[in-house]
Amino acid sequence: MSAEPRLEATVSLRVNGEDRQVHVEARRSLADALRDALGLTGTHLGCEHGVCGSCTVLLDGGPVRSCLVLAVQAEGHDVVTVEGLGTPDDLHPVQHGCLEAHAFQCGFCTPGMLISAVALLAENDDPDDAEIREALGGNLCRCTGYESIVAGVRRGAELLRLDGEG
Amino acid sequence: MVARLTGTSVHRVEDPRILTGRGRYIDDLAVPDTVQAAFVRSPFPHARVLGIDVSDALAGPGVVAVLTADDLARVAADLKPAGPADLRLPVFGALARDVVRLVGDPVAVVLAESRALAEDAAELVEVDYDPLPGVGDMDRAMEPDAPLVFAELGTNVVHRSTHRYGDTERAFDGAAHVVRERFVQHRHANVPMEGRGILAVPDPSGGGLDVHTSHQSPHALRMHLADVLGVPGHALRVRCGDIGGAFGQKSGLAREDVAVAGAALLVGRPVAWIEDRVENLTVGGQAREERLDVEAAVGPDGELRGLRVRMVLDQGAYPQVGFPTTGYTSIVRALLPAAYRLEHFDFEAVVVTTNKATYVPYRGPWEVETWVRERVLDVIARQMGVEPVAVRERNLLTPASFPTTSCTGVELQGFDPRRTFDDAVAAMDLPAFRDAQAEARAEGRLLGFGLANVVEPAPVPPSLIRAMGIMAAPRTVQEARSRLEPDGTVTVFTSQQPHGQSHETTLAQLAADELGIALDRVRVVHGDTMLTPFNLVGTGGSRAATLASGAVVGAARAVRERVLHVASELMEISPGDLELVDGAVVARGAPSVRTELAEIGRLAHLRPGLANADGRPGIEESATFDSAEGTWSVATHACTVEVDPVTGLVQILRYLVVGDCGAVINPAVVDGQVRGGVAQGIGAVLLERSAYDDDGQYLASTFMDYLLPTTTDIPSIEVRHVHHEPTGGIDYRGVGEGGAIGAPAALTSAIEDSLAHLGVRVLDQHLPPNRIVELLDDAGYELG
Repeated sequence: MSAEPRLEATVSLRVNGEDRQVHVEARRSLADALRDALGLTGTHLGCEHGVCGSCTVLLDGGPVRSCLVLAVQAEGHDVVTVEGLGTPDDLHPVQHGCLEAHAFQCGFCTPGMLISAVALLAENDDPDDAEIREALGGNLCRCTGYESIVAGVRRGAELLRLDGEG
Repeated sequence: MVARLTGTSVHRVEDPRILTGRGRYIDDLAVPDTVQAAFVRSPFPHARVLGIDVSDALAGPGVVAVLTADDLARVAADLKPAGPADLRLPVFGALARDVVRLVGDPVAVVLAESRALAEDAAELVEVDYDPLPGVGDMDRAMEPDAPLVFAELGTNVVHRSTHRYGDTERAFDGAAHVVRERFVQHRHANVPMEGRGILAVPDPSGGGLDVHTSHQSPHALRMHLADVLGVPGHALRVRCGDIGGAFGQKSGLAREDVAVAGAALLVGRPVAWIEDRVENLTVGGQAREERLDVEAAVGPDGELRGLRVRMVLDQGAYPQVGFPTTGYTSIVRALLPAAYRLEHFDFEAVVVTTNKATYVPYRGPWEVETWVRERVLDVIARQMGVEPVAVRERNLLTPASFPTTSCTGVELQGFDPRRTFDDAVAAMDLPAFRDAQAEARAEGRLLGFGLANVVEPAPVPPSLIRAMGIMAAPRTVQEARSRLEPDGTVTVFTSQQPHGQSHETTLAQLAADELGIALDRVRVVHGDTMLTPFNLVGTGGSRAATLASGAVVGAARAVRERVLHVASELMEISPGDLELVDGAVVARGAPSVRTELAEIGRLAHLRPGLANADGRPGIEESATFDSAEGTWSVATHACTVEVDPVTGLVQILRYLVVGDCGAVINPAVVDGQVRGGVAQGIGAVLLERSAYDDDGQYLASTFMDYLLPTTTDIPSIEVRHVHHEPTGGIDYRGVGEGGAIGAPAALTSAIEDSLAHLGVRVLDQHLPPNRIVELLDDAGYELG
């Protein structure tokens, strides 16, 4: 059984606004492709069974757990990872809100949380705390007790609205 | 003018990196030619290994090697945990040889060109197991005919000791009330969001290893690894980057560390192992499984006169290399009286071994002392029909009591437990709550109020270490180094190893203030044994705020002194007439007379003899900080809950922590530590459990079975600070553990209060909805 051939595929997708091609085994997840093939290690794997939310990315604008999506399923689709939000010198408003709120401690769940928050704010630009908590309910954080994250997203929403007005 | 940074919630230095996905966690490192490791692990809690056939696995695509215990023995010695003479300790291999002793026990490690290929091949390793009866329960383990986890120890009871303080016979003879209860704390786990991981890179010139890892104590890991692998200390370097949480779990020498580092030496290629979640939940380490039988002698007014406690701790199969389990029972013994008056106290400690995962330290590893003590006080209150607040008031030490020494020999000073307690009780407006509770009960709704007092040794006082019976008391001294660079920036080297505690920010705040420079002119270096001062523990036990702070301030002051010396030479002004302001040395009262720090840094490096009489270039100073008799953080936790009698769900209505942790370096960081700890305590009570069956089969290996609290489970947590006794010196006290220590006690206190009128007593710490419903059923509660 060791000689069993493994299926491989070349996948074309758009990642953070750039057209990319990755050659992967068909069984590899989108998270594997992003991390290993494209070097986008901001997407973190905390459980690899779709519970912790650390690997959340936007697929055509909607949040998905990239550990549960096969890389080949992303063929022709648009993916946004944490690297596509902002840079240290030019933070995305949600990232800036979280900076102001001391939202995170160890930082491992951070990318998935930010992506979930961005997805929420695309639907609802002025969520209340209960709506923020609901939207982040699929992202586990072990450090903060969540309160600072909720505050960070709330502040991020505010900054995003100010951006929109400016 | 650079505003003073210390005491303000400056933004975290870590965040631009972490928020943009640029952190460097262990799985983000890429070293060319690395092979990936996957472990072959036992599905049985206990079995004899009759044979291992690796031939199919070796033939697998991309497989580089399959190593068993015999292969590993060529480069790695057996693990010999250390501990006191009255703790029976086995010797064991990183990979199991003849017997497996828990589910997940590693029997072989497969190395392949990718992790997927390594996992494929691991499936092909044929292990011939002969299952043996396992023991997954502490009581069963203590029975004379129980299966032995380590036959060579001749018993599963690996430690038994008794201590007597005062005269409990007399206390019980004269008691007005006697309370007897059995308190059970369930096994649960640290569960960092990033699992463990290690990347061992062999030195191409032979014999050495460069180890990258997700670990709290790089220096300890280096020392242990060098010892087990026989690698000379000068040839072994341990480095840690960003760490996705640890909470105590990543602190000892793990068997996987030895197997992976040994494998790298054997195959001569870098070897990486990234733990998956199933492994982390199964064998990453678990904690807190303890049972305490308590008898309390109580005076007529509710005063605690004497306690008899028997504590049994289930340490699992393989003891951790680094922290002997007697350390936990002895710190529970020493701290149990905490800030309460207690003169007569008997304590028996029993440690048993079972076919379960290794017991590891978990945030506030002595937490059960607070939980049980506060439970006992509640039980006394119920038995006497008085308020839990009144029983605590009766027994708490008052300001007039200080300084004092507890019956166990712990010296207490520098705090007033009544201060946080009275503040918390007043803030919760108990009379109003009791009215609301009575009204709710009339409607069939269940409301409860609970509270707990926590004292946190932070930094650990030497008297506590002595009270624990560790005679060669290691001093809790820390060292830091500080260097002025040629461009006037400053590098601080710390032996701390942050894993979420924001040291890069808080330690930089302290150094920047001492040197009169902006935060971005300071960089804190940690996590490299080649660069940082030795420290056995790394970050743990709230050492960062308390000890590293003092060392960093000391080293920065020493640098400042050299800077002033150099400036004095250059400016021909006496050092006493100079000060450091805004990145320059200026003449007092004449700020236009100035020399930039960058100029001083440059000249100090380029002109031999300018900064140091012996001609050493540059300005680099180290300092140590010893907290002398230690200090204490103190906090009162209070909360209110509503229990749904139909679903058993507990809703936390309000959660308040009032604490005194001395001066605060960064309020947002401190409050974050408190809230995070409280959330872990809430998770422990309402959700989390590392469940085993009676034979030791593990039942909670995924996040579907091991439930962590989410955004909707954790309430907003109010944090207030009182500051009892500002000393003006280094008075930063630890808060890392207190949140996790106080929450189980306060929450179970509130849950019991909500059910108390039904006759319910909360004696188990784990209270998921089904358990709450069971308690109501057992009390004969009928839904209205």
